[in-house]
Amino acid sequence: MYKLKSRLLLGLAMTLVSGCAQKSASVRVAVAVPLTGDIGTEGQGVRRAVELAIEEANQSGRFPYLVEVRAFDDRADPKEAVSVANLIVSDPNIVAVIGHYNSGCSIPASQVYARAGIPMISPASTNPKLTAQQLEEGWLGPRSIFRVVPTDDVQGTYAADFVTDKLKFKNFAVLHDKTPYGQGLAEQFRERFAKRGGQILAFEGIASGDRDFKALLTRLKSLNPQGVFFGGLYPECALLIRQAKEIGLPATFFSGDGSKTNELLKIAGPAAEGAYLSITGIPVEHLPSAKTFLEKYNQKYPGATVKPFDHFGYEATNIALDIISRVGPDRTKFIDELKKIRYQGILGTTEFDAKGDTKNKIITMTKVKNGEFAIVN
Amino acid sequence: MFIEQLFNGLVLGSIYSLIALGYTLVYGILMMINFAHSEVLMVGAFVGLAAYTLLAPPAGGWVALVLVLLVAMTASGLLGIVIEKLAYRPLRQAARLAPLISAIGVSIILSNAVFLWVSNQLLSFPKVVPEQSISLGFMKIGSLQILIFFTSLILMAVLHFMVQKTKMGKAMRACADDLTTSGLMGIDVNKVIAFTFLIGGALAGAAGVLNGMYYGSIKYNLGFLPGVKAFTAAVLGGIGNIAGAVLGGFLLGILEVMAAGYLPNGSQWKDVFAFVVLIGVLLIRPSGILGERIAEKI
Amino acid sequence: MNFFNSQLSTLNPQLPKWLPLGLLLAVLLIFPIIIEGTSYAYLSRMAGLVGLYALLALGLNFTLGYVGLFDLGYIAFYAIGAYTAAILSINGYSFLASTFAAIVVSVFVRLLVGVTILRLRGDYLAIVTMGFGEITRIVFNNWDSLTNGPKGLPSVGESIRPVKILGMTLVTNTHYYYLIAASVILTILVSQRLENSRLGRAWVAIREDEVAAELTGLAVARLKLGAFVISAVFAGLAGSIFAHWERFVTPESFVFWESILLISMIVTGGMGSIRGVILGAVLLGGVPQLLQAALVGSRFIDYRYFFFGLVLVLAVLFRPQGLWPSKRRQVEILETEYVN
Repeated sequence: MYKLKSRLLLGLAMTLVSGCAQKSASVRVAVAVPLTGDIGTEGQGVRRAVELAIEEANQSGRFPYLVEVRAFDDRADPKEAVSVANLIVSDPNIVAVIGHYNSGCSIPASQVYARAGIPMISPASTNPKLTAQQLEEGWLGPRSIFRVVPTDDVQGTYAADFVTDKLKFKNFAVLHDKTPYGQGLAEQFRERFAKRGGQILAFEGIASGDRDFKALLTRLKSLNPQGVFFGGLYPECALLIRQAKEIGLPATFFSGDGSKTNELLKIAGPAAEGAYLSITGIPVEHLPSAKTFLEKYNQKYPGATVKPFDHFGYEATNIALDIISRVGPDRTKFIDELKKIRYQGILGTTEFDAKGDTKNKIITMTKVKNGEFAIVN
Repeated sequence: MFIEQLFNGLVLGSIYSLIALGYTLVYGILMMINFAHSEVLMVGAFVGLAAYTLLAPPAGGWVALVLVLLVAMTASGLLGIVIEKLAYRPLRQAARLAPLISAIGVSIILSNAVFLWVSNQLLSFPKVVPEQSISLGFMKIGSLQILIFFTSLILMAVLHFMVQKTKMGKAMRACADDLTTSGLMGIDVNKVIAFTFLIGGALAGAAGVLNGMYYGSIKYNLGFLPGVKAFTAAVLGGIGNIAGAVLGGFLLGILEVMAAGYLPNGSQWKDVFAFVVLIGVLLIRPSGILGERIAEKI
Repeated sequence: MNFFNSQLSTLNPQLPKWLPLGLLLAVLLIFPIIIEGTSYAYLSRMAGLVGLYALLALGLNFTLGYVGLFDLGYIAFYAIGAYTAAILSINGYSFLASTFAAIVVSVFVRLLVGVTILRLRGDYLAIVTMGFGEITRIVFNNWDSLTNGPKGLPSVGESIRPVKILGMTLVTNTHYYYLIAASVILTILVSQRLENSRLGRAWVAIREDEVAAELTGLAVARLKLGAFVISAVFAGLAGSIFAHWERFVTPESFVFWESILLISMIVTGGMGSIRGVILGAVLLGGVPQLLQAALVGSRFIDYRYFFFGLVLVLAVLFRPQGLWPSKRRQVEILETEYVN
């Protein structure tokens, strides 16, 4: 009964969409991220990236109609995210959703999108459950959830191999910010590093949003670790690095792409010298399209810096636009196309596996040298 | 290591104390939780950054620090007065929770206003004075930590002098004792309350600047967490009591640092630890460490 | 069913007294069916969420509204209810069983907390309840083996079973709307019965003057504890419904802000007034969501909470006693109660 109804609905939506397209009315892409609240800063970054991609597409003249962005604010609150999802699925002109940001929002919201047959591409949620749930029993809808951001195992494992093979580090203190992203990354690092024979001296969570880590770092100093790996985002990472220097902890810092921002360099200042940060994809210097993205972003949004997941938001939008330009604004065709896409973009080549996770596993290690990120591999 | 940790705790505690004083001053007179205090702190930090950007290059160093502090304190103090006048004064005769809701509303408005019209980015905050590391042989401490610690102490000393030795301070104490009677005795209650908000706001502004310098960055939501912590500290010490706020602030700072520094996985449990201690203290002393027993209504 | 009172109908004497309320109830009853399948279908989700807030606010109204206990940690019991229900549902228990367990666990924890802290007064109680709320959230975030930590429940490979009641499986927002509506009505009835009972009058007496109440022979401590514990029933119920509806729980749903929001709803609506509390929930729970719908495609979507703050300040400035206070309360507003 339910399925029938949703099919009918979907059919109705499709006719509406195609009807609108013929009248050259707009086709919409939704971006659902926290636009306000504590992590509004990061959500606004993703929105800027999405809007940049859409603007470029409209200017290029690839589309016979106008592609519009519809921005929604989930405030990083799971229940608002589900409300937003319900609002999105009630707009038949929306072809795809770029979002959400937090895994805690993405997972419940994705169930709503799937039931309505709308594809969703997350630019930032790394919880394995997000895509894995589609293969579980009781999933109501097509397999329509994808993500362009790699899950934690890729980066954590890479970093652990890097420090064992290249730097010959023997022991590490591992910290994380008690978020799905940070903790996942730290756990993967710990597992791999221990497997490679390294010694984990400490594995500790901090409170995300906390700003004083001197007590923790002072304790780490007595353990004398060679390196500190931090799973988390740049505001905390910058403070950890800065405060470690202030209390005289000599260890080298490592973190993932959530920490690689210009803010880190500014806030940590000279203390950041020598810190290692891994990022997903081919380095910008080797990929002109990525460099262009940065230039355009800075040109369009003076005063705003690129946030850690903006690249992914940009890439997700471009993938969506690529598909729309080929199969038109049709959600079902969109999902089919997304499953088999092989897209060349600013992250390198993006393909999706059976779950909907990106197969792009290229990681680049950077090191802070003279106040800039320099590629080391 | 213990002395190092103790010093970490004292520095953290000195910032908490500064903020807690603002809560306790207002509470002492109006018996209300000034929920918007944390956002006054945040605005103070932003004003401080703006002042630094405008003033620092010609002045630089210590002069710049004093200027930045003064500008931020003035702005925050004035903001405190404006909030009191617009959002609290009309509710002075209303039920007790009404001003609290108004304060919550004001705090939402302030943080969103900064988010919308000032900056939604994480901005880096300069250290203002060049930092050196001072070695004491057995431990190393940063000059920034010392600076923050002593600036806080100086401000607290100034406050103490103001409350104990000036005429206005006397009026404040009288109002804290009994607002209605003070009014009847010819004290201009509105003026005293406005002055209290000015002082509380100025201290928050100073705390905002110190907070920014210490952590090197500011954002529209920076006030909330220290605000909650400082209020907790004020309650721990006995809310309404000035010495209690200072004591509570230092105690909370040291507690947090000791939890994070010595307990396994302490960083993620330190707030739990601090709250458990708070609950324990309040069960033994229901009005905080230095708080007077609440007079029963008869 | 006189909780909406007849103030509306007195505007127009010809109309029967029950008409406005009857109409309102009829609209609330059938609108989700009418809008289902249209582009306004999202309104049933929003209405359901507002209902969930109303349920929580009515629950908190027992302590904050009637007895005047300043409880800043109510959301902790909502969290306990949600996690209990989620864990049981994942392990194969039905909706009714896990909801029952959620209520029992919430009540039990509430009882333990209440016995310990209820002798504290006023703002000291507030800060301790706030502390308890934060402790609960942090424990859920840190206790990885039970709650899967920040990654939330269910973890990979598990799922929360859909709700089955009376042979029906609840799937859509409309279904949940009716479940929540039924719970809210039940809560209203319970509140009304208690409010007008000896117990309810005793609670209000404590709120107005604790010492006087004690001197007239009321067992103040036990009465307080009673209200404190009863309120947990509704937190547990709301938590279980939330967990089943979202089919996913993480600690980030139970932040301090939610407790503040609930208190704001009660005070803005009118402390101790059932209709006022519901109005507060509708206003403060509904405004941000309706703004989201109204501002789609506009730059002003970022302004939602700025407007929300304005609404809060203006509401309380113009109606300090609450937008729709109870009759009993209206009498008291003449007195001031804050300085001595």
